[in-house]
Amino acid sequence: MIIRHSLTILLAAALGGAVLAADPGATGGGGLALRASKVLIAAYDGPAVLNHGIVLVKDGLIEAVGPARSTPVPAGYVLVGLGKRWLAPGMIDLHSHVGGTWDINDMVFLTNPGLRANTAVRPGNSNLDRAVAGGVTTILFIPGSGSNMGGQGVLLRTGEETYGGAELRAPGSLKVAQAGNPEGYIFGVGRSFMNWNLRNTFKRGIAYAKRWEQAEATAVKQPDRNPQWEIFRHLRKNEAQVSTHTQVYQVVLATITIIAQELEMPVYIDHGTFDGYRAAELAEQANVPAILGPRSIDAPAGYWFRMWSGSQVERVQGVAAGYQERGHRMVGFNTDAPVVPQEELSLQAAVGVRYGFDNSEMDALRGVTSVPAKAAGIDQRAGSIEVGKEANLLILNGDPIDPRTGVEAVYSRGRKVYDTALDRRRW
Amino acid sequence: MMITLKVKVGQLSLAALFLVSGLSAPAAGLLALEDEDKEEQPEWLAVTGGDVFTGTGSYLRGATVLAKDGKIDSIGYDLFIPEEAERLDAGGMRVYPGLVAISSSGLLGGSGDLADTIDPFSSRMVLGLAAGITTTSQSNQVAKLKRGELEGAVLSEKAFSGLTWSGAGGKRALKEKFETTATYLRAYREWEELVKKDKELKEPSKRGVDSTVLAVLEGRILAKFSANGRDDLLGIARLAQKYGFRPVIEGCGEGWAVADELGRAGAMAIVTPRYRRSKEESLVRDGGSSIENAAILHLAGVSVAVIPSSKSVNLGGIAGRDIMHLIIEAGFAVRGGLPEKSAIDAITIQPARMLGVGHRVGSLEVGKDCDLIVTDGDLLHYETFVQYAVVDGKLVYDKQEELWFSHIRPRPEAPAPEESPVDAGERPEDIEDDGEAGDDDESGDEDEEDGDEGDEDEEGDD
Repeated sequence: MIIRHSLTILLAAALGGAVLAADPGATGGGGLALRASKVLIAAYDGPAVLNHGIVLVKDGLIEAVGPARSTPVPAGYVLVGLGKRWLAPGMIDLHSHVGGTWDINDMVFLTNPGLRANTAVRPGNSNLDRAVAGGVTTILFIPGSGSNMGGQGVLLRTGEETYGGAELRAPGSLKVAQAGNPEGYIFGVGRSFMNWNLRNTFKRGIAYAKRWEQAEATAVKQPDRNPQWEIFRHLRKNEAQVSTHTQVYQVVLATITIIAQELEMPVYIDHGTFDGYRAAELAEQANVPAILGPRSIDAPAGYWFRMWSGSQVERVQGVAAGYQERGHRMVGFNTDAPVVPQEELSLQAAVGVRYGFDNSEMDALRGVTSVPAKAAGIDQRAGSIEVGKEANLLILNGDPIDPRTGVEAVYSRGRKVYDTALDRRRW
Repeated sequence: MMITLKVKVGQLSLAALFLVSGLSAPAAGLLALEDEDKEEQPEWLAVTGGDVFTGTGSYLRGATVLAKDGKIDSIGYDLFIPEEAERLDAGGMRVYPGLVAISSSGLLGGSGDLADTIDPFSSRMVLGLAAGITTTSQSNQVAKLKRGELEGAVLSEKAFSGLTWSGAGGKRALKEKFETTATYLRAYREWEELVKKDKELKEPSKRGVDSTVLAVLEGRILAKFSANGRDDLLGIARLAQKYGFRPVIEGCGEGWAVADELGRAGAMAIVTPRYRRSKEESLVRDGGSSIENAAILHLAGVSVAVIPSSKSVNLGGIAGRDIMHLIIEAGFAVRGGLPEKSAIDAITIQPARMLGVGHRVGSLEVGKDCDLIVTDGDLLHYETFVQYAVVDGKLVYDKQEELWFSHIRPRPEAPAPEESPVDAGERPEDIEDDGEAGDDDESGDEDEEDGDEGDEDEEGDD
């Protein structure tokens, strides 16, 4: 009788668990073990790939990664054998405009550090649905480049239904556009003026941040909060970075010398195209990551482009290859979605390889995972299959950057958010 | 006279001397024989040692494709390769039929009437060949990327008859045209039989008969529609089934949702796998674009050709979506489930057939044009580059000889051909012959090469 009674309780608990509890692997759920023929670890400083591996996921985080034969699966964990399929970290795009509505280019002033893109977020919009199906699990949703400072971007998880779930970090970045668009703000705006204006805004913002730092350090009365300058406190602590719309050698040079070296702001290049690669050596020295796109090649084109680009001869220069050849290590890729559709981030990496980027160490995959994670300062949370990171995982039927490879399923923080076995393939 | 016409510059004075001095007949005869041989000598090209994907279901590892006067003479192993054949070493590489871009602009360097405007020296033609494209259609004409040559470039002056299926009025009008023309055609065929018995019988009236529709119904030309919406596709499929013709449908974006109907109609689809069309969210039924479109259409029996969204070469910087990336677009069809072989068909034989040139190009078969590409890997892999392109049996593109892509993963130098030592028993003429066969690679016979060029010049001078 006693035995039967406890069995009933157990059964009830199990049933209740099945109905109420989260998916195994997700927050609040049981453990999940994924066994795959290839686990693409994509660590920034570490292994690229583990053959026949197991990944343990608990509470939305990666709990363990190891060879299938020597990694025990704890009791109670749901083991999923993926057969020949590959496991890869979710991809990260640091240049996206499709996180919500399009009103993200409000050019109130020529510099608008106080504007925030996160108020425009629409989680689960159709572009994000496709992003998930294309293996993109994180985006930096940023304002447009109509002014020198478009405002603050927000780092979003793509496979979530609520803003709270989607927000990975706000502010995600301060969007700066150094040249090549803000000129349209008003007649007469040119590079000298724009750089002066940028520097001026930065200096005021940094001064504000320093006043707060001093107040916090000495426990004196806190200064008044000014939403226009708050972002600079985040920047000073490297809790947000300057994501810079910058392209062409001379402008990329100005990004490095002004924002990184003179103002000592954490900054990354967020186009870097045309002949921007000519500044790659300096970018590497100044520790400025290069997140490249949506253009992938620098080639002789029409007159207008020729004024922009250094290349004149009949030669197609891969942009990513240009950075890599000059010794730049932190090379990543972006889409500038919708310029290149969000779901085609992996193709941006593939095209980079096509035009000369050396992928023998799997740096193309790193360029859409661990490199952008490091550039955006979220490398403790995302960008590779390493212990402690969010379980944003892709199940693939091959090389993740090959256009022919299908994403079969996607986990966002351990929860399955896309599965072609249940749903029609979206991409 | 033949002699003086055909001999080489260096031999001209010698030949003249023969003629003037009336030297011994055998000597002059020998010279004449050699030259006549030369004139009739076919042009051979042997592409050797590559893994040959014929497009007909065969995949021949380390095989040779031998072309004679621009046509494929044989494909296989241990072929007899004439000594004078030009050789292209494809060892370690792959050989595919030249790609067919079913629609493009700018690759031929001209516009409008291609016969008059093709620019065979256009840089865009080089980029087209670099993309593997050897045949394309532009402004409804079909032409080859015959670099440096105009002769035989245009294959067809009219590929399709364009028909429009749109708007209630337009659809009704087209249906009426088909009805009138089909009625006429039936009456005409009946009359053809009856007139044999009754010579007086009047031919049925052609009033209201549309000549374009007539050509379509008689099977003289394919009708091409441009449609993406499921309703339009369904309408075209039903029209085609009712009147018995096979429509070519460009776009076909929601084709996957009505694939069975299109298959029954024998439709041929020109699709862009990455095409985007949003679904009508208020409807439960299938709709909108799908990455699986090409695969589902293929499964339903629809012939599928693939083309990127941008039909011209784009050097603005955004790469992967223009005509230079035809293989990438085909790769996206594979992502959606189209088998690799069918994806290659979709950029070779399928578009060739739709364009009415399937008997000439689109696959590697004996008797067809020798249009092929040699690649450094799997055709649909994103890293693969076209190393050589051959059109009509002539090498027209060599990656390492152009500036465009030669710096990207340069092709390793082929090992130098083994030098054949001169056998003491050989006569000087034999050695000369060897030199001709060896051609470019041997630096020692500059005179010989000059002589070859002089040969053609001489012809022109006379």
